[in-house]
Amino acid sequence: MKYLALIMVVWCLVAGCATPRPIPAISPLTADEEEQMIWRRAQKELDAINDSGMLYQNVEIENYLNRIAAKLHANSISPGFSFQIKVIKDPSLNAFASPNGVIYIHTGILARMDNEAQLAALLAHEIVHCTHRHSLRTLRSIKDRTQANNARVRELAQLLGINGSITSTSGYTRELETEADRVGLDLAIKANYDPREILNLFELLKQEIELEGIEEPYFFGTHPNVRQRIENVNNWLSEKYRGKITGIKNTDVFQSKISRLVLDNARLDLRQGRFFVAQRAVEKFLVIKQDDARAYFLLGEIFRQRGRQDDAAAAIKNYEKSISLNPSFPEPHKAIGLIHYKDGEKRLAKKYFESCLLLSPETIDRAYIQGYLKLCVTNGEG
Amino acid sequence: MKKIPALLISLFLITGCASVAQERSLKNLPENEFSVEIPEGWWKPNHINKYFITKDGAFLQYVLIQQRPIDLPYRHTKKKLNKGMLPQEAAGIIIDEIASDRRIFNFDVIENAPAVIDGHEGFKVLFIYKDKKGSAFKTLYYGFISGDSFFNLRYNAAMRHYFEKDIADFEHILSSFKVVKAKAALQIARDR
Repeated sequence: MKYLALIMVVWCLVAGCATPRPIPAISPLTADEEEQMIWRRAQKELDAINDSGMLYQNVEIENYLNRIAAKLHANSISPGFSFQIKVIKDPSLNAFASPNGVIYIHTGILARMDNEAQLAALLAHEIVHCTHRHSLRTLRSIKDRTQANNARVRELAQLLGINGSITSTSGYTRELETEADRVGLDLAIKANYDPREILNLFELLKQEIELEGIEEPYFFGTHPNVRQRIENVNNWLSEKYRGKITGIKNTDVFQSKISRLVLDNARLDLRQGRFFVAQRAVEKFLVIKQDDARAYFLLGEIFRQRGRQDDAAAAIKNYEKSISLNPSFPEPHKAIGLIHYKDGEKRLAKKYFESCLLLSPETIDRAYIQGYLKLCVTNGEG
Repeated sequence: MKKIPALLISLFLITGCASVAQERSLKNLPENEFSVEIPEGWWKPNHINKYFITKDGAFLQYVLIQQRPIDLPYRHTKKKLNKGMLPQEAAGIIIDEIASDRRIFNFDVIENAPAVIDGHEGFKVLFIYKDKKGSAFKTLYYGFISGDSFFNLRYNAAMRHYFEKDIADFEHILSSFKVVKAKAALQIARDR
Protein backbone atom coordinates (compact mmCIF):
# COMPACT_ATOMS: atom_id res chain seq x y z
CA MET A 1 0.00 0.00 0.00
CA LYS A 2 2.88 2.33 0.76
CA TYR A 3 4.17 1.85 -2.76
CA LEU A 4 0.72 2.38 -4.18
CA ALA A 5 0.45 5.67 -2.36
CA LEU A 6 3.88 6.72 -3.57
CA ILE A 7 3.02 5.73 -7.10
CA MET A 8 -0.13 7.79 -6.89
CA VAL A 9 1.87 10.78 -5.67
CA VAL A 10 4.39 10.44 -8.45
CA TRP A 11 1.58 9.87 -10.90
CA CYS A 12 -0.08 13.08 -9.84
CA LEU A 13 3.21 14.95 -10.02
CA VAL A 14 4.22 13.82 -13.44
CA ALA A 15 1.03 12.94 -15.23
CA GLY A 16 -1.92 14.46 -13.49
CA CYS A 17 -2.04 17.71 -15.36
CA ALA A 18 -0.02 16.66 -18.35
CA THR A 19 -1.11 16.70 -21.90
CA PRO A 20 0.45 13.57 -23.27
CA ARG A 21 2.67 13.95 -26.28
CA PRO A 22 0.35 12.79 -29.02
CA ILE A 23 1.38 9.87 -31.14
CA PRO A 24 -0.51 9.42 -34.38
CA ALA A 25 -3.66 7.66 -33.32
CA ILE A 26 -3.89 5.72 -36.56
CA SER A 27 -0.27 4.61 -36.72
CA PRO A 28 0.03 0.90 -37.51
CA LEU A 29 0.54 -1.23 -34.44
CA THR A 30 4.18 -2.13 -34.70
CA ALA A 31 5.32 -2.39 -31.16
CA ASP A 32 8.72 -0.84 -30.61
CA GLU A 33 11.04 -1.77 -27.78
CA GLU A 34 9.32 0.54 -25.36
CA GLU A 35 5.91 -0.88 -26.07
CA GLN A 36 7.17 -4.44 -25.97
CA MET A 37 8.53 -3.74 -22.51
CA ILE A 38 5.10 -2.50 -21.40
CA TRP A 39 3.46 -5.60 -22.81
CA ARG A 40 5.96 -7.93 -21.15
CA ARG A 41 5.39 -6.24 -17.82
CA ALA A 42 1.63 -6.37 -18.39
CA GLN A 43 1.82 -10.08 -19.12
CA LYS A 44 3.52 -10.68 -15.77
CA GLU A 45 0.74 -8.82 -13.99
CA LEU A 46 -1.89 -10.75 -15.93
CA ASP A 47 -0.22 -14.05 -15.06
CA ALA A 48 -0.44 -13.06 -11.40
CA ILE A 49 -4.14 -12.22 -11.78
CA ASN A 50 -4.79 -15.51 -13.57
CA ASP A 51 -3.16 -17.47 -10.73
CA SER A 52 -4.78 -15.49 -7.93
CA GLY A 53 -8.14 -17.23 -7.81
CA MET A 54 -9.74 -13.86 -8.61
CA LEU A 55 -11.09 -14.84 -12.01
CA TYR A 56 -14.78 -15.53 -12.36
CA GLN A 57 -14.88 -18.76 -14.28
CA ASN A 58 -17.86 -18.93 -16.61
CA VAL A 59 -17.18 -19.82 -20.21
CA GLU A 60 -20.62 -18.80 -21.40
CA ILE A 61 -20.28 -15.29 -19.99
CA GLU A 62 -16.73 -14.92 -21.30
CA ASN A 63 -17.80 -15.98 -24.78
CA TYR A 64 -20.70 -13.54 -24.64
CA LEU A 65 -18.43 -10.66 -23.59
CA ASN A 66 -15.86 -11.53 -26.22
CA ARG A 67 -18.54 -11.57 -28.94
CA ILE A 68 -19.63 -8.07 -28.02
CA ALA A 69 -16.03 -6.86 -27.88
CA ALA A 70 -15.39 -8.29 -31.35
CA LYS A 71 -18.46 -6.49 -32.68
CA LEU A 72 -17.23 -3.18 -31.28
CA HIS A 73 -13.65 -3.75 -32.30
CA ALA A 74 -14.59 -4.41 -35.94
CA ASN A 75 -14.85 -0.65 -36.47
CA SER A 76 -11.81 0.37 -34.45
CA ILE A 77 -8.61 1.89 -35.85
CA SER A 78 -6.63 -1.30 -35.19
CA PRO A 79 -8.86 -4.21 -36.19
CA GLY A 80 -5.82 -6.49 -36.07
CA PHE A 81 -5.46 -5.98 -32.34
CA SER A 82 -6.48 -9.08 -30.42
CA PHE A 83 -8.80 -8.65 -27.42
CA GLN A 84 -9.70 -10.97 -24.61
CA ILE A 85 -12.32 -10.16 -21.99
CA LYS A 86 -12.13 -11.65 -18.50
CA VAL A 87 -14.20 -11.21 -15.39
CA ILE A 88 -12.83 -10.65 -11.88
CA LYS A 89 -14.71 -11.65 -8.74
CA ASP A 90 -14.90 -8.25 -7.12
CA PRO A 91 -18.05 -6.39 -6.09
CA SER A 92 -16.56 -2.96 -6.70
CA LEU A 93 -17.61 -1.00 -9.77
CA ASN A 94 -14.58 -1.22 -11.95
CA ALA A 95 -13.06 -2.34 -15.22
CA PHE A 96 -9.58 -1.95 -16.61
CA ALA A 97 -7.63 -2.72 -19.74
CA SER A 98 -4.17 -4.11 -19.99
CA PRO A 99 -2.16 -2.54 -22.82
CA ASN A 100 -1.89 -5.91 -24.56
CA GLY A 101 -5.63 -6.18 -25.10
CA VAL A 102 -6.85 -8.12 -22.07
CA ILE A 103 -9.81 -6.33 -20.55
CA TYR A 104 -10.94 -7.15 -17.02
CA ILE A 105 -14.44 -6.37 -15.83
CA HIS A 106 -15.41 -6.69 -12.19
CA THR A 107 -18.50 -8.72 -11.37
CA GLY A 108 -19.67 -5.67 -9.40
CA ILE A 109 -20.08 -3.45 -12.43
CA LEU A 110 -21.55 -6.20 -14.62
CA ALA A 111 -24.12 -7.02 -11.96
CA ARG A 112 -25.31 -3.41 -11.82
CA MET A 113 -25.85 -3.06 -15.56
CA ASP A 114 -29.28 -3.31 -17.12
CA ASN A 115 -28.56 -4.21 -20.71
CA GLU A 116 -26.04 -5.04 -23.42
CA ALA A 117 -25.84 -1.45 -24.65
CA GLN A 118 -24.42 -0.39 -21.28
CA LEU A 119 -21.94 -3.23 -21.39
CA ALA A 120 -20.97 -2.24 -24.95
CA ALA A 121 -20.32 1.33 -23.81
CA LEU A 122 -17.96 0.14 -21.10
CA LEU A 123 -16.15 -2.33 -23.35
CA ALA A 124 -15.79 0.25 -26.11
CA HIS A 125 -14.19 2.66 -23.64
CA GLU A 126 -11.65 0.06 -22.56
CA ILE A 127 -10.97 -1.05 -26.15
CA VAL A 128 -10.02 2.52 -27.03
CA HIS A 129 -7.46 2.60 -24.21
CA CYS A 130 -5.72 -0.28 -25.98
CA THR A 131 -6.14 0.65 -29.64
CA HIS A 132 -5.11 4.24 -28.98
CA ARG A 133 -2.13 2.99 -26.94
CA HIS A 134 -2.85 5.07 -23.90
CA SER A 135 -0.26 3.25 -21.80
CA LEU A 136 2.50 4.01 -24.26
CA ARG A 137 1.40 7.60 -24.61
CA THR A 138 1.29 7.99 -20.86
CA LEU A 139 4.74 6.49 -20.51
CA ARG A 140 6.16 8.80 -23.17
CA SER A 141 4.45 11.75 -21.60
CA ILE A 142 6.02 10.91 -18.25
CA LYS A 143 9.41 10.50 -19.87
CA ASP A 144 9.12 13.80 -21.72
CA ARG A 145 8.15 15.69 -18.65
CA THR A 146 10.69 14.11 -16.42
CA GLN A 147 13.53 14.51 -18.92
CA ALA A 148 12.66 18.10 -19.48
CA ASN A 149 11.75 19.14 -15.99
CA ASN A 150 12.60 16.87 -13.19
CA ALA A 151 15.21 14.18 -13.22
CA ARG A 152 14.51 13.24 -9.60
CA VAL A 153 10.89 12.50 -10.30
CA ARG A 154 11.99 10.35 -13.24
CA GLU A 155 14.30 8.36 -11.01
CA LEU A 156 11.56 7.87 -8.48
CA ALA A 157 9.13 6.82 -11.18
CA GLN A 158 11.64 4.26 -12.45
CA LEU A 159 12.32 3.04 -8.97
CA LEU A 160 8.64 2.45 -8.37
CA GLY A 161 8.18 0.66 -11.66
CA ILE A 162 6.07 3.20 -13.46
CA ASN A 163 8.11 2.45 -16.57
CA GLY A 164 6.64 -1.01 -16.49
CA SER A 165 3.18 -1.90 -17.55
CA ILE A 166 0.59 0.76 -17.10
CA THR A 167 -2.71 -0.98 -16.88
CA SER A 168 -5.44 1.50 -16.37
CA THR A 169 -6.50 0.40 -12.89
CA SER A 170 -5.76 3.88 -11.66
CA GLY A 171 -6.96 5.76 -14.71
CA TYR A 172 -5.32 7.89 -17.35
CA THR A 173 -5.17 11.62 -17.77
CA ARG A 174 -8.28 13.64 -18.37
CA GLU A 175 -7.51 13.95 -22.09
CA LEU A 176 -7.03 10.23 -22.62
CA GLU A 177 -10.15 9.36 -20.65
CA THR A 178 -12.14 11.85 -22.69
CA GLU A 179 -10.72 10.34 -25.87
CA ALA A 180 -11.75 6.86 -24.66
CA ASP A 181 -15.27 8.15 -23.95
CA ARG A 182 -15.57 9.94 -27.29
CA VAL A 183 -14.17 7.20 -29.54
CA GLY A 184 -15.88 4.53 -27.43
CA LEU A 185 -19.23 6.21 -28.00
CA ASP A 186 -18.52 6.17 -31.73
CA LEU A 187 -17.70 2.45 -31.66
CA ALA A 188 -20.91 1.67 -29.75
CA ILE A 189 -22.99 3.64 -32.26
CA LYS A 190 -21.29 1.95 -35.22
CA ALA A 191 -22.08 -1.43 -33.65
CA ASN A 192 -25.72 -0.30 -33.52
CA TYR A 193 -26.01 0.04 -29.73
CA ASP A 194 -28.21 2.68 -28.18
CA PRO A 195 -25.67 5.32 -27.13
CA ARG A 196 -27.99 6.85 -24.50
CA GLU A 197 -27.43 3.82 -22.34
CA ILE A 198 -24.00 5.03 -21.31
CA LEU A 199 -25.80 7.94 -19.65
CA ASN A 200 -28.12 5.54 -17.86
CA LEU A 201 -25.13 3.55 -16.68
CA PHE A 202 -23.39 6.69 -15.41
CA GLU A 203 -26.56 7.72 -13.58
CA LEU A 204 -27.18 4.29 -12.10
CA LEU A 205 -23.70 4.07 -10.73
CA LYS A 206 -23.59 7.66 -9.54
CA GLN A 207 -26.71 6.96 -7.50
CA GLU A 208 -25.19 3.85 -6.02
CA ILE A 209 -21.93 5.60 -5.21
CA GLU A 210 -23.87 8.27 -3.34
CA LEU A 211 -26.20 5.80 -1.67
CA GLU A 212 -23.53 3.46 -0.37
CA GLY A 213 -20.82 6.03 0.17
CA ILE A 214 -18.63 3.87 -2.05
CA GLU A 215 -15.26 5.20 -2.97
CA GLU A 216 -15.70 6.33 -6.56
CA PRO A 217 -13.97 3.75 -8.70
CA TYR A 218 -11.70 4.49 -11.57
CA PHE A 219 -14.08 3.79 -14.44
CA PHE A 220 -16.45 6.36 -13.05
CA GLY A 221 -13.69 8.20 -11.33
CA THR A 222 -12.33 11.67 -11.28
CA HIS A 223 -10.40 11.95 -14.57
CA PRO A 224 -12.66 13.63 -15.58
CA ASN A 225 -15.34 13.36 -12.96
CA VAL A 226 -18.57 11.61 -13.66
CA ARG A 227 -20.59 14.81 -14.05
CA GLN A 228 -18.20 16.12 -16.68
CA ARG A 229 -18.38 12.81 -18.52
CA ILE A 230 -22.18 12.91 -18.56
CA GLU A 231 -22.02 16.44 -19.92
CA ASN A 232 -19.50 15.44 -22.60
CA VAL A 233 -21.63 12.52 -23.77
CA ASN A 234 -24.72 14.73 -23.87
CA ASN A 235 -22.84 17.29 -25.96
CA TRP A 236 -21.55 14.71 -28.43
CA LEU A 237 -24.97 13.16 -28.79
CA SER A 238 -26.66 16.46 -29.47
CA GLU A 239 -23.96 17.77 -31.81
CA LYS A 240 -22.24 14.99 -33.71
CA TYR A 241 -24.94 12.34 -33.55
CA ARG A 242 -28.08 14.45 -33.77
CA GLY A 243 -30.86 12.47 -35.39
CA LYS A 244 -28.93 9.20 -35.16
CA ILE A 245 -29.62 8.33 -31.56
CA THR A 246 -31.17 4.93 -31.88
CA GLY A 247 -29.93 1.42 -31.47
CA ILE A 248 -30.39 -1.85 -29.68
CA LYS A 249 -30.29 -2.52 -25.94
CA ASN A 250 -30.60 -6.32 -25.86
CA THR A 251 -31.95 -6.24 -22.33
CA ASP A 252 -33.41 -9.76 -22.19
CA VAL A 253 -30.38 -11.49 -23.67
CA PHE A 254 -28.04 -9.60 -21.36
CA GLN A 255 -30.03 -10.32 -18.22
CA SER A 256 -30.40 -13.96 -19.00
CA LYS A 257 -26.65 -14.31 -19.70
CA ILE A 258 -25.47 -12.63 -16.51
CA SER A 259 -28.21 -13.65 -14.07
CA ARG A 260 -26.02 -16.22 -12.28
CA LEU A 261 -23.24 -13.66 -11.99
CA VAL A 262 -25.66 -11.22 -10.36
CA LEU A 263 -26.33 -13.76 -7.63
CA ASP A 264 -22.66 -14.63 -7.19
CA ASN A 265 -21.77 -10.98 -6.92
CA ALA A 266 -24.53 -10.44 -4.35
CA ARG A 267 -22.69 -12.97 -2.16
CA LEU A 268 -19.58 -10.82 -2.42
CA ASP A 269 -21.58 -7.73 -1.51
CA LEU A 270 -23.03 -9.55 1.47
CA ARG A 271 -19.55 -10.59 2.52
CA GLN A 272 -18.58 -6.93 2.60
CA GLY A 273 -21.68 -6.10 4.61
CA ARG A 274 -23.32 -4.12 1.82
CA PHE A 275 -26.75 -5.44 2.71
CA PHE A 276 -28.87 -3.07 0.66
CA VAL A 277 -26.90 -3.56 -2.55
CA ALA A 278 -26.92 -7.32 -2.05
CA GLN A 279 -30.66 -7.36 -1.38
CA ARG A 280 -31.40 -5.32 -4.49
CA ALA A 281 -29.27 -7.64 -6.61
CA VAL A 282 -31.00 -10.80 -5.36
CA GLU A 283 -34.39 -9.23 -5.95
CA LYS A 284 -33.27 -8.33 -9.47
CA PHE A 285 -32.20 -11.94 -10.00
CA LEU A 286 -35.53 -13.24 -8.69
CA VAL A 287 -37.41 -11.23 -11.28
CA ILE A 288 -35.61 -13.31 -13.93
CA LYS A 289 -35.49 -16.66 -12.14
CA GLN A 290 -38.33 -16.89 -9.70
CA ASP A 291 -37.81 -20.45 -8.53
CA ASP A 292 -34.23 -20.42 -7.40
CA ALA A 293 -33.74 -21.92 -3.94
CA ARG A 294 -30.24 -20.46 -3.58
CA ALA A 295 -31.48 -16.94 -4.26
CA TYR A 296 -34.12 -17.18 -1.52
CA PHE A 297 -31.51 -18.61 0.83
CA LEU A 298 -29.21 -15.69 0.06
CA LEU A 299 -32.02 -13.23 0.68
CA GLY A 300 -32.60 -14.96 4.01
CA GLU A 301 -28.91 -14.62 4.83
CA ILE A 302 -28.99 -10.90 4.04
CA PHE A 303 -31.85 -10.38 6.51
CA ARG A 304 -30.39 -12.66 9.20
CA GLN A 305 -26.95 -11.10 9.07
CA ARG A 306 -28.26 -7.54 8.94
CA GLY A 307 -30.17 -8.26 12.12
CA ARG A 308 -32.53 -5.29 12.24
CA GLN A 309 -35.94 -5.44 13.86
CA ASP A 310 -38.21 -7.86 11.97
CA ASP A 311 -35.27 -9.15 9.92
CA ALA A 312 -35.39 -12.56 11.62
CA ALA A 313 -38.99 -13.08 10.48
CA ALA A 314 -38.14 -11.96 6.94
CA ALA A 315 -35.14 -14.29 6.96
CA ILE A 316 -37.20 -17.30 8.04
CA LYS A 317 -39.79 -16.57 5.36
CA ASN A 318 -37.10 -16.64 2.67
CA TYR A 319 -35.39 -19.72 4.10
CA GLU A 320 -38.72 -21.55 4.11
CA LYS A 321 -39.32 -20.55 0.51
CA SER A 322 -35.86 -21.87 -0.31
CA ILE A 323 -36.60 -25.19 1.41
CA SER A 324 -39.92 -25.47 -0.38
CA LEU A 325 -38.12 -25.09 -3.72
CA ASN A 326 -35.32 -27.48 -2.85
CA PRO A 327 -35.92 -29.57 0.30
CA SER A 328 -32.50 -31.22 0.05
CA PHE A 329 -30.57 -27.93 0.23
CA PRO A 330 -29.06 -28.01 3.77
CA GLU A 331 -28.08 -24.37 4.29
CA PRO A 332 -31.52 -22.87 5.00
CA HIS A 333 -32.17 -25.65 7.55
CA LYS A 334 -29.04 -24.65 9.44
CA ALA A 335 -29.88 -20.95 9.24
CA ILE A 336 -33.41 -21.41 10.60
CA GLY A 337 -31.91 -23.57 13.35
CA LEU A 338 -29.57 -20.71 14.29
CA ILE A 339 -32.38 -18.18 14.51
CA HIS A 340 -34.46 -20.46 16.75
CA TYR A 341 -31.41 -21.37 18.83
CA LYS A 342 -30.65 -17.71 19.54
CA ASP A 343 -34.32 -17.13 20.38
CA GLY A 344 -34.17 -19.95 22.94
CA GLU A 345 -36.52 -22.11 20.87
CA LYS A 346 -34.34 -25.15 21.38
CA ARG A 347 -36.88 -27.74 20.25
CA LEU A 348 -37.37 -26.03 16.88
CA ALA A 349 -33.65 -25.36 16.59
CA LYS A 350 -32.88 -29.05 17.17
CA LYS A 351 -35.27 -30.10 14.43
CA TYR A 352 -33.60 -27.87 11.85
CA PHE A 353 -30.04 -28.63 12.94
CA GLU A 354 -30.75 -32.33 12.69
CA SER A 355 -32.22 -32.00 9.24
CA CYS A 356 -29.17 -29.97 8.15
CA LEU A 357 -26.76 -32.66 9.35
CA LEU A 358 -28.88 -35.34 7.76
CA LEU A 359 -28.69 -33.57 4.42
CA SER A 360 -25.03 -32.64 4.74
CA PRO A 361 -23.17 -34.72 7.34
CA GLU A 362 -19.81 -33.23 6.33
CA THR A 363 -20.82 -29.55 6.35
CA ILE A 364 -17.80 -27.40 7.27
CA ASP A 365 -19.40 -26.06 10.45
CA ARG A 366 -20.75 -29.39 11.69
CA ALA A 367 -18.73 -29.00 14.92
CA TYR A 368 -20.77 -25.91 15.81
CA ILE A 369 -24.04 -27.67 14.97
CA GLN A 370 -23.11 -30.73 17.02
CA GLY A 371 -22.36 -28.37 19.92
CA TYR A 372 -25.74 -26.66 19.59
CA LEU A 373 -27.48 -30.03 19.45
CA LYS A 374 -25.77 -31.13 22.69
CA LEU A 375 -26.94 -27.95 24.40
CA CYS A 376 -30.47 -28.42 23.05
CA VAL A 377 -30.52 -31.85 24.71
CA THR A 378 -28.89 -30.81 28.01
CA ASN A 379 -31.36 -27.96 28.29
CA GLY A 380 -34.06 -30.60 28.56
CA GLU A 381 -35.71 -29.90 25.29
CA GLY A 382 -34.50 -32.99 23.47
CA MET B 1 33.98 11.46 -5.93
CA LYS B 2 33.20 13.69 -2.98
CA LYS B 3 29.84 12.12 -2.75
CA ILE B 4 31.09 8.56 -2.25
CA PRO B 5 32.59 8.94 1.26
CA ALA B 6 29.49 10.83 2.33
CA LEU B 7 27.36 8.04 0.95
CA LEU B 8 29.40 5.42 2.79
CA ILE B 9 29.13 7.34 6.04
CA SER B 10 25.38 7.67 5.62
CA LEU B 11 25.11 3.99 4.83
CA PHE B 12 27.11 3.12 7.93
CA LEU B 13 24.91 5.33 10.09
CA ILE B 14 21.73 3.92 8.61
CA THR B 15 22.74 0.29 8.98
CA GLY B 16 23.96 1.05 12.51
CA CYS B 17 20.55 2.40 13.40
CA ALA B 18 18.87 -0.53 11.70
CA SER B 19 20.67 -3.10 13.80
CA VAL B 20 19.59 -1.29 16.95
CA ALA B 21 16.02 -1.23 15.63
CA GLN B 22 16.14 -4.98 15.06
CA GLU B 23 17.26 -5.75 18.61
CA ARG B 24 15.59 -9.01 19.50
CA SER B 25 13.65 -8.46 22.67
CA LEU B 26 10.13 -8.27 24.02
CA LYS B 27 10.52 -4.64 25.01
CA ASN B 28 7.62 -2.31 24.44
CA LEU B 29 4.88 -4.90 24.18
CA PRO B 30 1.67 -2.91 24.52
CA GLU B 31 -0.39 -3.29 27.69
CA ASN B 32 -3.70 -5.10 27.34
CA GLU B 33 -6.26 -6.89 29.45
CA PHE B 34 -4.55 -10.22 28.93
CA SER B 35 -1.41 -12.06 29.84
CA VAL B 36 0.48 -14.77 27.99
CA GLU B 37 3.69 -16.72 28.39
CA ILE B 38 5.99 -16.26 25.45
CA PRO B 39 8.40 -19.11 24.68
CA GLU B 40 12.10 -18.45 24.32
CA GLY B 41 13.34 -17.15 20.99
CA TRP B 42 10.36 -14.96 20.14
CA TRP B 43 10.80 -11.20 19.87
CA LYS B 44 8.91 -8.10 18.92
CA PRO B 45 10.00 -5.96 15.97
CA ASN B 46 10.32 -2.42 17.33
CA HIS B 47 8.57 -0.79 14.42
CA ILE B 48 5.32 -2.67 14.99
CA ASN B 49 3.20 -1.09 17.69
CA LYS B 50 1.12 -4.18 18.41
CA TYR B 51 1.30 -7.35 20.45
CA PHE B 52 3.18 -8.93 17.59
CA ILE B 53 6.00 -11.42 18.00
CA THR B 54 8.09 -13.50 15.67
CA LYS B 55 10.96 -15.93 15.82
CA ASP B 56 12.58 -15.85 12.39
CA GLY B 57 11.05 -12.68 10.97
CA ALA B 58 7.51 -11.54 10.31
CA PHE B 59 7.48 -12.92 6.78
CA LEU B 60 8.21 -16.44 8.02
CA GLN B 61 6.02 -16.62 11.07
CA TYR B 62 4.33 -14.39 13.62
CA VAL B 63 1.87 -14.44 16.47
CA LEU B 64 -0.46 -11.48 16.79
CA ILE B 65 -2.65 -11.04 19.85
CA GLN B 66 -5.28 -8.34 19.84
CA GLN B 67 -7.89 -6.94 22.13
CA ARG B 68 -10.16 -4.80 20.05
CA PRO B 69 -13.27 -2.83 21.00
CA ILE B 70 -16.23 -4.83 19.82
CA ASP B 71 -17.75 -1.92 17.90
CA LEU B 72 -14.56 -0.95 16.10
CA PRO B 73 -15.28 -1.13 12.36
CA TYR B 74 -13.33 -3.48 10.15
CA ARG B 75 -11.50 -2.36 7.07
CA HIS B 76 -12.93 -4.68 4.44
CA THR B 77 -16.41 -5.53 5.64
CA LYS B 78 -19.05 -3.25 7.07
CA LYS B 79 -20.33 -6.05 9.28
CA LYS B 80 -19.79 -5.58 12.97
CA LEU B 81 -19.39 -7.87 15.92
CA ASN B 82 -21.82 -7.58 18.80
CA LYS B 83 -22.15 -8.97 22.29
CA GLY B 84 -25.05 -11.29 21.53
CA MET B 85 -23.28 -13.09 18.75
CA LEU B 86 -22.60 -16.78 18.72
CA PRO B 87 -18.93 -17.69 18.19
CA GLN B 88 -19.92 -19.12 14.81
CA GLU B 89 -21.34 -15.76 13.77
CA ALA B 90 -18.24 -13.93 14.96
CA ALA B 91 -16.08 -16.39 13.01
CA GLY B 92 -18.20 -15.65 9.93
CA ILE B 93 -17.43 -11.93 10.19
CA ILE B 94 -13.72 -12.56 10.61
CA ILE B 95 -13.74 -14.83 7.56
CA ASP B 96 -15.64 -12.19 5.57
CA GLU B 97 -13.16 -9.52 6.63
CA ILE B 98 -10.16 -11.55 5.55
CA ALA B 99 -11.74 -12.85 2.35
CA SER B 100 -12.65 -9.29 1.31
CA ASP B 101 -9.08 -8.06 1.72
CA ARG B 102 -7.73 -7.42 -1.79
CA ARG B 103 -4.19 -8.29 -0.69
CA ILE B 104 -5.28 -11.84 0.08
CA PHE B 105 -5.46 -14.31 -2.80
CA ASN B 106 -6.57 -17.92 -3.12
CA PHE B 107 -8.14 -17.70 0.33
CA ASP B 108 -9.52 -21.01 1.57
CA VAL B 109 -10.97 -22.01 4.94
CA ILE B 110 -9.74 -25.45 6.01
CA GLU B 111 -11.46 -25.62 9.37
CA ASN B 112 -14.02 -23.54 11.24
CA ALA B 113 -14.94 -24.90 14.66
CA PRO B 114 -15.87 -23.92 18.20
CA ALA B 115 -13.02 -23.46 20.66
CA VAL B 116 -12.59 -22.56 24.30
CA ILE B 117 -9.93 -19.98 25.10
CA ASP B 118 -9.21 -19.30 28.77
CA GLY B 119 -12.68 -20.66 29.57
CA HIS B 120 -14.40 -18.39 27.04
CA GLU B 121 -16.60 -19.81 24.29
CA GLY B 122 -14.98 -18.87 21.03
CA PHE B 123 -13.93 -20.16 17.66
CA LYS B 124 -10.93 -21.30 15.73
CA VAL B 125 -10.48 -20.87 12.01
CA LEU B 126 -7.69 -22.44 10.02
CA PHE B 127 -7.15 -20.94 6.61
CA ILE B 128 -4.62 -20.68 3.82
CA TYR B 129 -3.94 -17.88 1.36
CA LYS B 130 -1.34 -16.40 -0.95
CA ASP B 131 0.04 -12.91 -0.99
CA LYS B 132 0.51 -10.78 -4.10
CA LYS B 133 3.87 -12.39 -4.82
CA GLY B 134 2.36 -15.86 -4.69
CA SER B 135 3.88 -16.90 -1.36
CA ALA B 136 1.59 -19.32 0.49
CA PHE B 137 0.68 -18.83 4.15
CA LYS B 138 -1.33 -20.72 6.70
CA THR B 139 -3.09 -19.04 9.61
CA LEU B 140 -4.65 -20.41 12.76
CA TYR B 141 -7.00 -17.79 14.20
CA TYR B 142 -8.68 -18.03 17.61
CA GLY B 143 -11.20 -15.47 18.81
CA PHE B 144 -13.85 -14.82 21.42
CA ILE B 145 -16.06 -12.00 22.63
CA SER B 146 -15.84 -10.96 26.27
CA GLY B 147 -17.66 -7.89 27.51
CA ASP B 148 -16.96 -5.00 25.18
CA SER B 149 -13.88 -6.60 23.67
CA PHE B 150 -13.07 -9.05 20.96
CA PHE B 151 -9.91 -10.97 21.78
CA ASN B 152 -8.04 -12.81 19.09
CA LEU B 153 -4.83 -14.74 18.79
CA ARG B 154 -3.49 -15.68 15.43
CA TYR B 155 -0.53 -17.67 14.30
CA ASN B 156 0.53 -16.99 10.73
CA ALA B 157 3.42 -18.73 9.01
CA ALA B 158 4.79 -19.64 5.64
CA MET B 159 2.97 -22.79 4.66
CA ARG B 160 6.10 -24.72 3.80
CA HIS B 161 8.17 -25.74 6.80
CA TYR B 162 7.47 -22.83 9.15
CA PHE B 163 3.83 -23.44 10.03
CA GLU B 164 4.50 -26.91 11.41
CA LYS B 165 7.83 -25.90 12.93
CA ASP B 166 6.42 -23.39 15.41
CA ILE B 167 2.83 -24.48 15.92
CA ALA B 168 3.75 -26.00 19.31
CA ASP B 169 5.02 -22.61 20.51
CA PHE B 170 1.71 -21.04 19.50
CA GLU B 171 -0.24 -23.73 21.32
CA HIS B 172 1.82 -22.95 24.41
CA ILE B 173 1.02 -19.24 24.05
CA LEU B 174 -2.65 -20.04 23.53
CA SER B 175 -2.90 -22.30 26.57
CA SER B 176 -1.19 -19.68 28.74
CA PHE B 177 -3.54 -16.90 27.59
CA LYS B 178 -5.55 -15.28 30.38
CA VAL B 179 -7.86 -12.30 30.42
CA VAL B 180 -6.78 -9.98 33.22
CA LYS B 181 -7.85 -6.56 34.32
CA ALA B 182 -5.47 -3.84 33.21
CA LYS B 183 -5.58 -0.12 32.94
CA ALA B 184 -7.67 1.46 30.26
CA ALA B 185 -6.62 -1.08 27.67
CA LEU B 186 -9.63 -0.39 25.53
CA GLN B 187 -8.80 3.25 25.36
CA ILE B 188 -5.30 2.36 24.27
CA ALA B 189 -6.66 0.18 21.51
CA ARG B 190 -9.03 2.90 20.38
CA ASP B 191 -6.25 5.47 20.28
CA ARG B 192 -3.98 3.20 18.27
